[in-house]
Formats: sequence, C-alpha cells, structure tokens
Amino acid sequence: MSEILNESIVALELGDEAAGGYNPPAASRTWYHYLLLAGAILFAAVSVGFVGTIFWSSLPTWLHHAGTLLGGKGWASPLGPFGGLAMITGTFETSLIALVLAVIVGLGTSIAIVFLIPRRFRNVIATLVELLAAVPSIVYGLWGLLVLAPWMETTVNPWLNSWPFAKAIFGNPGQEFGTSLLLASIVLGIMILPTFVAISREVIAVVPQDLIEASLSLGATRWQVIRGVVLPTAKIGLFGATFLALARATGETVAVALVAGGVANVQFHLLYPGTSIAAWIATVFGESQGNEIAALMALGVLLMLLNFGLSLVSRWLVRRQRRVLALV
Amino acid sequence: MSDMTEIQEPKEVGNEMRGEIRRISSHSRARRLAVSRMMIALCAIALLVSAVPLVMLLYQLFKQGLPVIDKAFFTTLPSTPSLIAPNATGGVSNAIVGTLALTIYASVMAIPVGILVGIYLAETESKLASSLRVIAQTMAGAPSILMGLFAFSFVVRDLNVGFSAIAGSFALAVLMLPVIVISTEIAVRNVPNTLREAGLALGAKPHVISLRVVLPASASGIVTGTILAVSRAVGETAPVMLVIAGGFTNSWKPFDPVSALPLSIYENAKSEWPSLRAQVWGIALVLVVFIFVLSLSARIWASRKQQVKN
Repeated sequence: MSEILNESIVALELGDEAAGGYNPPAASRTWYHYLLLAGAILFAAVSVGFVGTIFWSSLPTWLHHAGTLLGGKGWASPLGPFGGLAMITGTFETSLIALVLAVIVGLGTSIAIVFLIPRRFRNVIATLVELLAAVPSIVYGLWGLLVLAPWMETTVNPWLNSWPFAKAIFGNPGQEFGTSLLLASIVLGIMILPTFVAISREVIAVVPQDLIEASLSLGATRWQVIRGVVLPTAKIGLFGATFLALARATGETVAVALVAGGVANVQFHLLYPGTSIAAWIATVFGESQGNEIAALMALGVLLMLLNFGLSLVSRWLVRRQRRVLALV
Repeated sequence: MSDMTEIQEPKEVGNEMRGEIRRISSHSRARRLAVSRMMIALCAIALLVSAVPLVMLLYQLFKQGLPVIDKAFFTTLPSTPSLIAPNATGGVSNAIVGTLALTIYASVMAIPVGILVGIYLAETESKLASSLRVIAQTMAGAPSILMGLFAFSFVVRDLNVGFSAIAGSFALAVLMLPVIVISTEIAVRNVPNTLREAGLALGAKPHVISLRVVLPASASGIVTGTILAVSRAVGETAPVMLVIAGGFTNSWKPFDPVSALPLSIYENAKSEWPSLRAQVWGIALVLVVFIFVLSLSARIWASRKQQVKN
C-alpha cells in the first residue's frame, strides 16, 4: 500500500482506502470543527453546482431536441438542427482505438519495467512516466498537428492506400491535411499511455513475490510466470487501469480538436477527418449562441455521464484488486 | 503455503513428478524457453516504443523552440504578421502575464478550501465525508472542458461577470480543488495516530492538535499535492479557452479578458502564418519547462522529506 501511495499519479487517480478518522464528541466541537465543516459544505456545493449548472443549461435541448442530439447527423450553426451522432461515434472510435494501442504497448512496458529494469532505476523510470503525464495536452496536440500530420499526409496515408484491403478499411480522402480520426487515435494513445503505465506498473509490482517464486521453483519460465501467475493475479487491477485510461481518452479535448480535423461527419473510415464530443465543444463554443450553447451543454452532459461512469467502474475494480491481494 | 511440510526425498517422487510436469506443460523446455525469451523481448520492445514519442516530442520542442526565444519573446505584446512584415510575430508577454494571473487567482481560491476539505475528510467519519471522498475522486478525473462549461454558465452568464480572468481562474480552481483535497487527505492520514494521541493525552483541544501537531507533520505532503495541482492547472487549455476571451494586453486585473500560454499555442498552431507556427514551439517550450520544474520540485520536495522522516 505504501508503495502505491509513493506514486503521486496513482494516488491522485485512485485515492486512498478510507481508514478510520474520529468524530469529536458534540461537547468538544469548536470553531475549528465548524470551519472544516464549512469548507466541506462549500466543496459539496461546488460539486453539486458543477453538475447542476451544466445540466440546467442543457435542459432546453433535452426537452425539445433530445432525439436530434442523440441520433442526428448534421450540425448546422447557428440555428440548428444540432445532431450529436458524429461527435458520439467519433469519441468512441478515437478513444477505443487509442485504448487498444495504449494497452498493448503499455502492458508490455509495465512488464518490462517491473521484470527487466534493475530496482535502482525504477525511480528514474517512475519520474519519467510522471513527466510524460505532466506534458500538457495542448503540447501533444501541437506536436500531432505540426509534426505528425504532415508525416501522415506524405507517408502513412499513401502507404495505407497502396494496399486495397487497407484502403477499404481506412478510406481514401485524397487531398486532406493529414488530420484524421486515425491521427487523433494515435495521439490519444500516446497521451493515455503514461496513465495506463503508471497504474498497471503498480498493480503488477504488488503481486506477491511468494507466488512468483513458487511458480519459478516449479520450473516455469519467466513468461510462464508472467502469463500464468502475474497477469491473472493482477487482472482486476489491470481492467481498472484500462477503464481509467479510457475515461482519460474520452475527456481529452484540445489535442483532439487540433488533430482530428474538426469535421462533424459520422465517419467509420479512419483516414477521414472527424471530431469528438469534447473537441467539438472546444471548436465551436466560441462562436455559438442560444440554442447552440444549450446543445453543446447537452453534449457536455453526455461526456460527463460517460466519464463519471467509467471512472467509478475503474475505481471499483482497483479497490477489488486491493482486497484480493490483501487475502493472498 | 505457510504450513511447514516435511521435506521429501526427490528420488521418491522423481519419475512421477516428471510425468506430472510433462502433463501440465506439454512443450519441451527448449520451446518454452524460446517462447519466454521472445515474449520478454517483445515487452522490451514495447518499452522502447513507448519512449519514442517522448524523445521525439522533446527533440522537436528544443530544436524548434530554442531559436525563437529571445528577450522580446518575453517582453513584447503579440502582433499580427502582414504581407509587408510576415515575420512580425511580436512576443507573448500578454500570455505569460495572463497565465501567471490565472494561476495565482485560482490558487488563492482553491488552496485554502482544498486543504480544509482534505483535513475534514481525514479527521472525521461521516456520511458527508465518505460521499465527498467519492465526489473528489470522480471530479479529479472529470474532463477539463466541463470546468470551462461550468465557469461559462455560472460566472460568465449567471453572475454576469463576462469573459474575464476571474472566470478562467474559477474554472482552474474547480480543476485544482479535488486534486488538493485528495493529496491533503492522504498526507494528513499518513500522520501516525500516536502523535494525535500524545496531544490528546496532554489535554490539547482538537483544533490545537490539528493545527500544531498534524498540520506541521503533514505539511510536505500537502505542499507536494498543491504544487502538482498548480502544475496541472498551468497547462490546461480547455477550461480557460471558453471563458477568458484571449486579451491582447498585459493585464493583471481580474475582470479584464486575458490570454494564457496554452491558449496562444492553440491559436497560433492553427494560424496560416509560418512565422506564428514557428513561434508556437517557443511558447510550448516555455510552458513545458515551467511545468517540469514545478512537478520535479514537488517530487524532490516529497522525497527529501521522506528521507528526513526515515
């Protein structure tokens, strides 16, 4: 447990298990107690206000245009109709592909950090991972737009289109700027990688040494130990890390706004430009008025529900993992 | 696993055991070793692959960022390039002032409340405390664009403040608050109960124990968490871009529109002018260095205090 808390990212993402605390008897409640309580109530008010205000501002859309927002395809500024289907599908496409990329690379990275890197370098690696996570998303977006997008345009897109099979899947947008849903997925994958690695590394590192040694002593190879003992033991926590990374990916805003192309089309060919919920809010909010703002707020409500749901599930999974390990 | 079992002679079970191992693992040892080496090598490759973007990103930042940074970059206001003077980008002093102003106002709003709530969560046990804990953890992961929507509807529109630094710093404060709450709670919880009990035994009142014993003992953790929250807020674009309106003057006034470093990156990166797209690397470099210094100092602070404790 103490090892988990040493990692500031992990501690912030997951928090600590509640352990005790005390309630002073009513007689000894002083001004200090009420000061703390006032702070807590203020925080509760801010949180309720946060959810309430956004929901309240989106109410006109939910009352009159809920169907259009959830299933409509076009976004016609400034008068509507405002269809959100393109943003919803875009969010799922980009974040799921990003997740697949990040989980494949991230799981390998975590295993390599725990089982290949000598113990004394681990702190250095942990610091590097934290620094990667600290790079603001706008910088990833900038890098994606000015470095990766031209490279996609001149190299990757023609290469993918030279294969008929890949062309059928990814589509051939012809002259575009290189910004596309695929690029957004790649940049997102790079961005959520540190979050996933930080948590999955911890989850893997706390698998009890006894289990690993028992398995080694039976003649298992290193990979057999990892596949047969470490990963199954850490499974629930790894799912937690995955869900948390997915939550991160769905909420990512400016990077996607810069590299996805910012076009509100329902698009399953990944080389075409698209957008996501968060990116679309960032892109059009500045010029919107009245009903359009309400529609954007409604998109915000969708994003909030998605994100809160994912992060509650992931926290529940990681907490279950800790309980499982406490039993071993 | 914990029971002490008698050590058995290997020869008694040798052949049976061998058969058993064969049965469980149907492949020869050579093949299992080969598979193992291959998979471990793949993991090592994954480690290298995940390092590639960081190296590429930092390389581009320094290679393209350093040349555009000079004295004028920090001290002059931005100007729009024209056909006559395509390289007249000016500096980004408005964004630097704006970012500092936004961060300071947001810290003033968020840090006191965050520390109070953190202590409350650590020191009391109630339904309110446990639900606030869940709320803080959920809010800490909430998409930052939502803080912008909140600040817009509440501060800009409902309170009728308009697009201003105060609205932007409100959004950042909402972003920082849960981070400070969680790290304060962890820091306060890590203070050993024996210290509190010693205070109680001496007859100290709860607030005296909290202020004179627990807070000094947990100060390093609180400071670390607060610096991390600040460094996260400094780089955020989404919450401020909806509410600060990108002012073009060096203004510290809370009710003026201001700019911010992340916002100028966003605007300049989309610009048609090559000179502005070149300048944007300098802004990004300044921002990243600032954030790295903040978060490294938080880490060093935390590890030094850890050593003192041990």
